[in-house]
Amino acid sequence: MSALISVDGLVKEFRKVKPHEGRLGSLRTLFTRRYEVNRAVDGVSFAIDEGELVGYLGPNGAGKSTTIKMMTGIVMPTGGTVRISGLDPWRERPCNAAQMGVVFGQRTQLWWDLPLRESFRLVGAIYGVSPADYRESLERFVDLLDLGEFIDRPVRQLSLGQRMRGDIAAAMLHRPRVVYLDEPTIGLDVVAKDRMRTFVEETSRAGETTIVLTTHDLADVERLCPRVILIDHGRVLYDGDVQGLKATYATHRELVVHLAPDESTGRTPAVRAADVLGAEIVSQEQGVARIRFEASRIAVQHLIASVNQNYPVRDLSIVEPDLEGVVRRIYSEGLTP
Amino acid sequence: MNRPFKESLSLYWTLQKAALRAETGYRFNFVLLVVMGIVYQGSGIAFVWVILSQFDSIGSWTFSDVAFLYSLRLLAHAVWIVPFNQVYALDELVREGRFDVYLLRPLNPLLQVITGRVRMNILGDVITAVTMFGFAVTAADVDWTPAKALYLVLAVLGGAAAEGAVVLLVSALSFRFLHTWSAHFLVDNVFLLFGSYPLHIFGTATTWILTWTVPVAFVAYVPASVLLGRTGDLSVSPVLAWAAPAIGFLWMYAAYRIWVRQMRHYQSTGT
Repeated sequence: MSALISVDGLVKEFRKVKPHEGRLGSLRTLFTRRYEVNRAVDGVSFAIDEGELVGYLGPNGAGKSTTIKMMTGIVMPTGGTVRISGLDPWRERPCNAAQMGVVFGQRTQLWWDLPLRESFRLVGAIYGVSPADYRESLERFVDLLDLGEFIDRPVRQLSLGQRMRGDIAAAMLHRPRVVYLDEPTIGLDVVAKDRMRTFVEETSRAGETTIVLTTHDLADVERLCPRVILIDHGRVLYDGDVQGLKATYATHRELVVHLAPDESTGRTPAVRAADVLGAEIVSQEQGVARIRFEASRIAVQHLIASVNQNYPVRDLSIVEPDLEGVVRRIYSEGLTP
Repeated sequence: MNRPFKESLSLYWTLQKAALRAETGYRFNFVLLVVMGIVYQGSGIAFVWVILSQFDSIGSWTFSDVAFLYSLRLLAHAVWIVPFNQVYALDELVREGRFDVYLLRPLNPLLQVITGRVRMNILGDVITAVTMFGFAVTAADVDWTPAKALYLVLAVLGGAAAEGAVVLLVSALSFRFLHTWSAHFLVDNVFLLFGSYPLHIFGTATTWILTWTVPVAFVAYVPASVLLGRTGDLSVSPVLAWAAPAIGFLWMYAAYRIWVRQMRHYQSTGT
């Protein structure tokens, strides 16, 4: 069976005017044009099966939004192909749009000056949802997202969290096959974030909805996404599960040693570089030493034994890398594992 | 998902009514804008009246002839502007990336643009146009026949299409150039200044340009000449003059195709 979403060698170039510099530069820009081509997406390929929940990650300007905009039919690709259940999102835009739902955290799709309920009614009309299905869906969303207390208020009076819930409901009222969530938790408080995550989790669990989630909040990803696709500079850096990402990129762990004061002198000793088997001592203050080591090169039990033998140790702990640290490293240092 | 026309029309009404409800929420603005529309459009005809109280005729057209032409153009303008006024806001929608939303739904993007908001000052345009046309049509020297009445209806629709086509073409530039305000301003003024008077007074070259490169002549000047029995003044043949509405519709068809084609240059925004 072929994948529901297949993206193959996708490229998007933006051409923009490069201004002349110096005296009369803006005047010259008006008359003689120089263009600068920026390749926002540079040969991205991946496939997503029906029912998957995939996190699409990347730093600002990595090409995330541009990929999503090509998958949703907003912008036309410069090269490569996108197929969503066999449809070209740009050429067959209306058909593709009918089976997808999109939420942009930064931009509402609701009717600003009208009560939230009106937006639902209009969306229902646009997608041609039958009255019976509409009633059922709406009831479910009001219940699931707790919309009851503000559904009759104009959208402009809603809080960000309320508006996001409204946006999600509006995007899914017609039971789309594919849902794109672009930064759905941006700007939300802890409670609202959690509510959103629970909703996404439950929607995905039923297995009928394929979800592509882009986010900057890696807690979203750790909790929700079995699979992540990481891109930077318009290219896919990693495509696989979160554990694999950590195993590939997070090769270092940290041993945190709490040292006890020396019994005779009362002073807390310092860990010497000679005793850590070639690992790196990251910091050492107030009796706490942080030792960073490469797990494949230095066995943790040897390191602990060495430290234990040479120093009075009060407590030891090993810090596993979190996704945040991994991604930060990849963003700052590039793609070499 | 290709919708039948009837379904699109009913969706158009649903969305337009919603936009109207949103707008009437701001009542003060509503009243102010209606009054503004009336004053603006009314001042134009007052100007014609002032001119013609000094001179008997413009290019052999009497005041009642010019008033007929003037209000015919106003009527065509109103017929275009009522459903399509939001086309003027397209560059803003494109610049701010709000056009994204219209591409996400299985509904014609242009239909969503025009139902995005209702501008209340256009109600002023409509009131002025209908009132003035009511006066002008009784004062004008037209031998009414069923054929001429039918032609009048088609001419108003065709004139609306002709002006609309040019505005739509300008708005299509938004997808590439992001700012089209000045181009809209220019086009509006060309239609207002040249379209409201007997075009032959501006000379042969101008008449030719405003007939064959921009369809200003076909909005009101050509149809008014037909109805007033003044086709002799025209630079186009009487047959073509009777076909003026069709020319408007052709322009609109071509403009719409180009508009859709230009959509591929939409680049959205950074986020």
